[in-house]
Amino acid sequence: MSLAPQDFFPAIAPWVATLDDTFPGAWVKPYFAQWEVLHLLSIALLGGASILLNLRLIGYGLTDETPAEVERNVRPWMHLGVAGVIVTGLLIGASNAERLYTSEAFTAKMLGLAAAIVLTYGVAMPAARRDGALGGAGRLWALAGLAIFALGLLVFGVSKLVNPGLWHVITAAALVVLFVTRGLTRILYLTGLVALIAVQWVMTHLVIPPDDFARLDPANKAFAWVFAAWVLGAAVVQVVTAGRSGGAGAATKGLAYAALLVWVMTAAAGRWIAFA
Amino acid sequence: MLRDFLVWLATRLGKGPGEYDLSWSEALAGSLNFWGLLEGTHVLALMLFAGTIFLVDLRLLGVAFKKTPVSVISDRVLPLTVAGFLLMVLTGVALFYAKPLVYYHNLWFRLKLVFLALALINILVFHWRVQRNRHDWDAAPRPPAPARISATVSILAWVAVITFGRFIAYDWYECGKPLPRWANAAQECATSDRGAIDLEDMPQ
Repeated sequence: MSLAPQDFFPAIAPWVATLDDTFPGAWVKPYFAQWEVLHLLSIALLGGASILLNLRLIGYGLTDETPAEVERNVRPWMHLGVAGVIVTGLLIGASNAERLYTSEAFTAKMLGLAAAIVLTYGVAMPAARRDGALGGAGRLWALAGLAIFALGLLVFGVSKLVNPGLWHVITAAALVVLFVTRGLTRILYLTGLVALIAVQWVMTHLVIPPDDFARLDPANKAFAWVFAAWVLGAAVVQVVTAGRSGGAGAATKGLAYAALLVWVMTAAAGRWIAFA
Repeated sequence: MLRDFLVWLATRLGKGPGEYDLSWSEALAGSLNFWGLLEGTHVLALMLFAGTIFLVDLRLLGVAFKKTPVSVISDRVLPLTVAGFLLMVLTGVALFYAKPLVYYHNLWFRLKLVFLALALINILVFHWRVQRNRHDWDAAPRPPAPARISATVSILAWVAVITFGRFIAYDWYECGKPLPRWANAAQECATSDRGAIDLEDMPQ
């Protein structure tokens, strides 16, 4: 079973086939690389804004300022980055529409983008404006955003040739937890992480021959689950033990992790469109 | 000499005794997913590295975090930037190692390195000269001209690094194609496996 856009919207195939021959796709096509650069710069800009905002909610980074002050300062750059990603994405998508139409990674990317916008504009930014307090609307947006994020992760995870890209999300989560943990928690977490990396290397290079893909595939998937569980466990310990940061309680902190990682998933799925 | 070293890296280092055994470089380039993960991580690290350095530079330009002292932004944000930079360098070196000769003869890769060097020199100049009197303007909403110039150079240099980095994937100036003489010279195409074909020498 495929989860590419063509499987959900088969009726639009003739229209998709014309997109790169008509405006704006035909207009963008000769300058595809240049528009890609603008797409990357927009991702970088919104990435920086999202990292500073969500890390502050988690209790790391610009802790000298209130979450509201951090939000006020990153807001214009977040807007610019998100608008840039959407506009340039639409343009390069129009010039490359048939490729995207048949790509499962693109489905994951679109779900990720929707979840990222919901979690950023419906949850993280409003919560930061209230110095970490989640409002009633924020809780509803959080449920919607997390549900779409989970769906995106599911599509990413079950798509053949694309799902190795989920390691980007696990790696990013591992780094965020490494940044924000302290003292003994950080030492134990890092030790476990290094041990897991060593065990995975031994298993996938010495125990299982590197060319035995039939055994490597399930082994690497099992390791992905173990890594994810280890990182998630450490994040839960950090959220529970670090106390309140400004007005951000455990729920806001957990959602800040999600609001940050959902952008990573979106960007990772976008990159893996090119690989599968 | 440098090219000979890269040929050894690409074809000899880690190669087994068999005729069809791969070198480590070839194995990395031909890996099913690892090369993609490296390349993806290199691109995604832009969010951490470029995203945070842009915001530090915007503070130095006086357009973001105007009420926050520059020292606070530096102390709190630059560790993230450094982590992102290390990630980019590690993955970048591994990507280069996978296809050293392709990158060596690539115009965009060479331009990327030039602007990378410029960005790093700018960081050194900022640390050793521009911010020597930082305590005088640490809390100023709009830092003095030298700091703003340094921030502008930083943003432009990193934008150039990202731009040329993206262009590496395109074969507009690939050695072996009919190219302007300057492009063949700039990429040392004559010493590449594909050779140099001057556009000017082609029959019209």
